[in-house]
Amino acid sequence: MLPLPEFTVHTPASVDEAVALLAKLGPGAMLLAGGTDLLPNMKQGLHAPAHVVSLQRLGALRGVRREGDALVIGAMTTLDAVAGSAEAKTHAAALAEAAAVVGGPQHRRMGTLGGNLCLDTRCRYYNQTAFWRGALGYCLKKDGDTCHVVEGGRKCVAAASNDTAAAAIALEATVVLTGPAGIRRLPAADFFVADGARNTARREGELLTALEVPVRAGRVSVYEKLRRRGAIDFPLLSVAVRLDREDGSARALDVVISALAAKPRRLAAAQKLGAADLATLPIDTLADAALRECNPLPNIEGDVVWRKQMVRVLVKRALGRATSLA
Amino acid sequence: MSGLIGKAGRRGDLVQRALGSTRFTDDLHLPRMLHGKTLRCPHPHARIARVDASKALAMPGVAAVITGKDLPERFGIIPWTPDEHPLALEIARFVGDGVAAVAAADERTAAKACEAIEVVYEVLPSAVELDTAITKPEIGLGAKRQDNVSKAVDLAFGDVDAELAASEVVLEGDFHFEGTAHVPIEPHCAIAQVDAAGLLTVWSTTQVPHYLHRELSRVLRLSPARIRVIQPPLGGAFGGKSEPFGHEFTAAKLAMITGRPVKFLMTREEEFYLHRGRHPMRLSFKVGARADGTLTGIDARTQIDGGAYSSFGLVTTYYSGQLLTLPTTAKSYRFSSTRYFTNKPPCGPKRGHGSVQPRFAFEVMLDRLAERLKLDPIELRRRNAVAADSKTINGMRVTSNGNLECLAKVEAASGWKERRGKLGFGRGLGVASSAYISGTNYPIYPNEMAQSAVQLKVDRSGVVTVFNGASELGQGTDMLLATIVADELGLPLDCVRVVSADTDLCPVDLGAYSSRGTFMNGNACLAAARQVKAKLIAAVAAKLEVPEDAVFVTRGALCVKGREGDAVPVDEAIKLAEARFGALGAVGSYKTPPKLGGEYRGGTIGASPAYSFSAHVAEVQVDVETGVVDVVNVWCAHDCGKALLPTQVIGQLDGSVYMGVAEAIFEEHLISPSGLHRGPNLLDYRIPTSLDVPAIHSMIVESMDPEGPLGAKEAGEGPLHSSIPAVANAIYDAVGIRLSRLPFSPGRVLEALQQRGRG
Amino acid sequence: MPEALVTLSLRVNGDDVRVAVRPSQTLLEVLRVGLELTGTKQGCDKGDCGACTVLLDGEPVLACLTLAVTCEGRVVQTVESLTREDPLVDAFDCHGAGQCGFCTPGMLMTAKGLLAKHGRPSRETIKQAISGNLCRCTGYGPIVEAIAAAGEGRRGKKDEEPLPAPLPSWEAPKP
Ligand SMILES: Cc1cc2nc3c(=O)[nH]c(=O)nc-3n(C[C@H](O)[C@H](O)[C@H](O)COP(=O)(O)OP(=O)(O)OC[C@H]3O[C@@H](n4cnc5c(N)ncnc54)[C@H](O)[C@@H]3O)c2cc1C
Ligand code: SF4
Ligand code: FES
Ligand code: FES
Repeated sequence: MLPLPEFTVHTPASVDEAVALLAKLGPGAMLLAGGTDLLPNMKQGLHAPAHVVSLQRLGALRGVRREGDALVIGAMTTLDAVAGSAEAKTHAAALAEAAAVVGGPQHRRMGTLGGNLCLDTRCRYYNQTAFWRGALGYCLKKDGDTCHVVEGGRKCVAAASNDTAAAAIALEATVVLTGPAGIRRLPAADFFVADGARNTARREGELLTALEVPVRAGRVSVYEKLRRRGAIDFPLLSVAVRLDREDGSARALDVVISALAAKPRRLAAAQKLGAADLATLPIDTLADAALRECNPLPNIEGDVVWRKQMVRVLVKRALGRATSLA
Repeated sequence: MSGLIGKAGRRGDLVQRALGSTRFTDDLHLPRMLHGKTLRCPHPHARIARVDASKALAMPGVAAVITGKDLPERFGIIPWTPDEHPLALEIARFVGDGVAAVAAADERTAAKACEAIEVVYEVLPSAVELDTAITKPEIGLGAKRQDNVSKAVDLAFGDVDAELAASEVVLEGDFHFEGTAHVPIEPHCAIAQVDAAGLLTVWSTTQVPHYLHRELSRVLRLSPARIRVIQPPLGGAFGGKSEPFGHEFTAAKLAMITGRPVKFLMTREEEFYLHRGRHPMRLSFKVGARADGTLTGIDARTQIDGGAYSSFGLVTTYYSGQLLTLPTTAKSYRFSSTRYFTNKPPCGPKRGHGSVQPRFAFEVMLDRLAERLKLDPIELRRRNAVAADSKTINGMRVTSNGNLECLAKVEAASGWKERRGKLGFGRGLGVASSAYISGTNYPIYPNEMAQSAVQLKVDRSGVVTVFNGASELGQGTDMLLATIVADELGLPLDCVRVVSADTDLCPVDLGAYSSRGTFMNGNACLAAARQVKAKLIAAVAAKLEVPEDAVFVTRGALCVKGREGDAVPVDEAIKLAEARFGALGAVGSYKTPPKLGGEYRGGTIGASPAYSFSAHVAEVQVDVETGVVDVVNVWCAHDCGKALLPTQVIGQLDGSVYMGVAEAIFEEHLISPSGLHRGPNLLDYRIPTSLDVPAIHSMIVESMDPEGPLGAKEAGEGPLHSSIPAVANAIYDAVGIRLSRLPFSPGRVLEALQQRGRG
Repeated sequence: MPEALVTLSLRVNGDDVRVAVRPSQTLLEVLRVGLELTGTKQGCDKGDCGACTVLLDGEPVLACLTLAVTCEGRVVQTVESLTREDPLVDAFDCHGAGQCGFCTPGMLMTAKGLLAKHGRPSRETIKQAISGNLCRCTGYGPIVEAIAAAGEGRRGKKDEEPLPAPLPSWEAPKP
C-alpha cells in the first residue's frame, strides 16, 4: 500500500461555497476532482495538503453545453463524457480526440477536464516515490535545489503531460476561473506558463469552472499522440492542429506541440503562414519547421532522440489528417 | 482412465479465484496482526555505519524494529552460494537493499516509523554497470572480495576451432539484452505468526515453500520441526517468487519478537527491488556451416550481469550455454559464460531461466546463416535437428521429440512458403525454434529423496483429497492433479480436493521452477492414484467374484468386462475397499532417473527427464516512419508430450508468447548509472495492455513422452523462448534490418533503418 | 494528531453499510480491510494496473484512486456480488480467461460495466474497454473471447461441460 498523507476532506455544494472554502483554508488546501492525478501524486509524497476540497458535488460543473458561439464544457465533465459528446466531436474534435486517448478507460471515466487542464507537470525525476526521490537527492521542483534534466538549470522544465492542453490552445479556447475576485477568463494559450513547478496561471484560491471553445464554421481540428502502449501511457509527444477554412480555402492554421517542456508550444512557422502558403499548406515545410522549433527534453521516460524525430512525423500526420478532413 | 484427460474443458478453479473465495496471501488478515515495512538503502553500495531506531521505537503504534544484526545468518537459494542477509548486515549492495524493518499497528505507521530510523552510511565505490564490474575487480563484490565474478563456466564439446576453420561459412554476431522483470500482478506478501506452543507459521507468496522452510530454519536458527510454511494460491509468479526473500525472514523474526502476527506486503516499487528478473547478457556468437547447411561449430561467449547477489546465478551461468544444444545442433559447441556481480537489484530466474537470451542470439544467427546459404530457415533447422531417442552433443538424453512437427505446424499455419518474403516492404515473417527442460534432475541441495510426492486420502463420502507440495501459481497444477486422480478413479472432478503447498500437511515438492510441475507431480500423483485404483478394483473383483483384470474404471463406476450391468459406483467401491483393506490412502513419489546428463563437471545442469519443443512464426508490420513494430500474428506450436488439460496448455502457450513478445518490443529493466532504478512502477516499466498484443495462434503437438505422466511434458516456459527471435527475424524479413539489442524499441528500429539507408 | 474518523454510509453489493473511515483511506482499503471484501485486488495502489476496478454507481473505476469519503450515499459493486452462474463468470471459466486470477476481479467488473452499456460489444470495443486492466498471464485473447461470448449470450465453446450443478440437495439414505 502507498498510504496517503493525512488531511481533512471538504465537499462544498456550490462553486461559491468552494471558493469561500479555498479562501478560508488558504494555501494548505488542494482541489480534488477525479483524483486520478492528485491521489497518485499524494501517495508518492509530492503533495501533502492539510485540506482536500472535493468538487464532486458541483453537478453544475458537469456537462457540455452550447452557448451561442461557444461550446461550454464544465470543469467536472469527465474525459469520457468529453470524448463521447457529439457537440465536442463536431466542434472541438481535437479536444474530443485528446480526451479519448488520456490514460486508460478508468482514468477517463474518473478524470475530469478541469483536472486534466490543471494536471501537474511530469518528470521522470519527480513522479517517483519519496524513497526514490530521496535516494536521488530530490530536485528543484520538490524538496531539492538542482534539476536533473537540465544541468545547472534554474527553472523546472517538467513536461506538460495533459492531453487536452494542446487541443485547448489550438482551438483558441478560453479557460474560465472563479476566485475570490470573481470570474476571470484567460485564453488557454495564456493559461499555461513555462514553469514546470507551476505551469498554470491559476491563482491561489481560484477554481477552474469551465472551458469555452469557440464554434466556427469551416473549422477542423485533430489531435495526435505519441505513446508506446495503446493505453494508459501519458503522451511522449503530442500535436494538436486547428485548420480554419472559408470558401474552400484555408484561412488560419494553428499547430500546438506538447509534452516537450512545461508549456505547450505553438508552432511559430504555422502562425507566420501567409494566405498563399495557407492555400497550398506546405505540410513537409511545416513538419521540418516543427523539428527545428521543438526540442524534447529527457524529462520523461522514453528515448529522447526518438521523440525528437517523431516531432516531424506527428506534425505531418496531424496536418495530413486535418487537410483530409477539411 | 475415464475420459477427463485431454478435454478442452473449463479452467475449473478460476471461479473461486475470480469471485473472491480464494484467499491470496494479502487477503489473509489475522487477529492482532501487525504490519511490517522495510527501510531500504538509498545507495548502490554502502557500509552501514550506524542505525538509530530510537525515534521510530518511540512512536505510538510501533511494536519493534530490527536490523541486520538481529538476523546475522546468511541465506541463498543455492546451498553453495549463500550471500544474502534478510537485512544488510554490514554492507548494502544496491539501491533498495533492506536495512531495517519495522512492525507497527498499521502500514501507515510502519512507513512513518521507517522514515524516522536514522542510518549513517559510508558510501563505497560501486559497480553499477557491467563494464565497471569487469574492469574494476578491486571493487570486490565477489565471494573472496578479489573480483566481481559470481560464476564462470567454460565448456567445450568437440573441436570447435577445427570445425570452424573447415567451414564454408562462419558468421559472427554480438547481442545485447538489458534485462526484464516478471511483474506478476500480485505483489510479494508474507505473514508470520508464532503460536503459544512456539510453532512458527509463515504464509508467503513463494513458489518454493520447501526451500523457504529450510532457509527459515537456518536463518532463524529454529528447528524445521518448529516451522510451518503455507503457500496460498499465487497471483502469478513467472519465476519471481522462486527463492526466499528478506521480508519472509523479517516477518518471522518480528512475529517472534512481538508475539503477534506480522504481515509484509511489498509495494510495486519494492517489487522492482526484490527483482530476480531475467539477467542482462551480452553475447558474442560465432557459428559455422557447410554449404549444404550442416552446422559445424558454435562458439558462444557470454557476459552476464547478475546484480547484487548470487540468487540462482550458478545455475543461470550454466543454463546460458547448456540449453542451447537442442533442438538444432552443430558438430561442435563451446561456451564461455561469466556472471558478474553489480550493484543492482539481484537477477534470478524468469520464465525460461538463463536460456532465453542465448536462444535469441542463436536463432538470429541461424536466420543469417540460412540467408547466406540461400536456404529456407526452416529447412536449415530441419537439416540440423536433433533426433528423438538420442543424445545431445553435451550429453543430454533426449527421448520424445516433436521438434519437426512443431516446425511443420507453424510453417503450414502461417502460410510460410507462400507468404514469406512476399508481403511487401514493411511486413514480414520470421521463424525460430527452441527446446526446454521438463524439470531438472538437480535437486538444488544434493539428496537422495524424492523430488515430488503426493499423498491421497480417500473418504467414504466418495471424496479424495490430494495432498501435495506443489505450488499453484495460476499455471494450474491443482487442477491437473485433481484431473489425474478423478480420471484414474472415475470420480467427478468436484469430488477431488487438492491441498497444496503446506509443509505440515503435504509431502515435499521442490517447488514450481524449471518446469517440473506436470512431469514430476503428475507422475507422483499418478503413482498414488494407481495404488488406490488397484485397491478399488481388487475389492470390486472380490465382491463380484470376477478376476481383477476383468474390472475396469469408467466415469462414475467400476465395471466388469462383458457384464456392463454389474457396475459398482465409485463411492460404493471405496466402501468395499475400505472394508477390505482398512483406511484407504496412498503415497506416490517421483525421482528422476539416476544417470542423466553428461559425465563432466556441470554435466547434470540442464539434464532433464524430458524436453519440450517449440517453434514460432511471427508476422510483423514495421512502420518505417515511426520505427514502431507491430507484431500482428504469432503462430506457436509446442510439443508438451500430451496435453492433459488442453485449456491450461493453450493458456501457457498464449501467456508465454505474450511475455516473449513483450520482451521483444516493450520491456527493458533499466537501472541508471547512479544505481537508481529508472522507474520502479508500472507506468515507466511498461507491460502490454490488451491493445498491444498480437493475435496468438497456439497449437499443441503431442509426442507422448515415454516417462511423462500419461505422456506429458512441460508447457509453461519453453514456448517463450523462440518467440523473441521469431520477431527479430520477421523484422529482417519486413525491412531488412538485423537488430541485436532487445527490446526492438522504435528508436532502435529507426536508427537501424537509417543506417541501412546510408549503408 | 490522528485523523478524525468519518462515518460513511454506502450501498455495497446490495447491502446498506455504515463504516467508520479515515479521510485518507481509499475505497480499496475500506473494501478490503474495513468491509473484508478481499475479492477486489491491489496490484499497484496508484492507478496503473486496474486490478482494483469496482463499479461505482455502475461505472468501472479504480478503487485505489477513490477516496472512501467521496462515496457517501453511492452504490458500490464488487466481484463478491457475482456468482458462478453469471454468464460472464461462466464464460471466463470456459475460455480460460484467467490463470492466476489476480487481475480477474478487476477485469470482470470492467466487463460488467461494458456489457451493461453495450449489449454485444465487438472485439475491438472489448479490447479498448479492458485496456486499463493489466493481465500478466493470459495474453488477453481468451478474456476478449469470453466477454464477447457473454455479450452474445454464449457460454463458450460447443464441447463445454455444463455448469456444475450448484450444491445439490441431498437426502440421506435410510439405514
Ligand atoms: C496510470 C495513469 C495514466 C494516465 N495517463 C494520462 C494521459 O495519458 N494523459 C493525461 O492527460 N493524463 C493522464 N493521467 C492523469 C489523469 O488521469 C488525467 O489527467 C485526468 O484528467 C486528471 O483529472 P482528475 O479530475 O482526475 O484530476 P485530479 O487528480 O482531481 O486533479 C488534478 C489537479 O488539478 C487540480 N484541479 C482539479 N480540478 C480543478 C479545478 N476545477 N480547478 C482547479 N484545479 C483543479 C487538482 O487540485 C490537482 O492539482 C493518467 C493517470 C494515471 C493514474
Ligand atoms: S525538470 Fe528538473 S526540476 Fe523539474 S521535476 Fe524534472 S528534475 Fe525536477
Ligand atoms: S491497484 Fe488500483 S490501479 Fe493498480
Ligand atoms: S490471470 Fe494472472 S494476471 Fe490475469
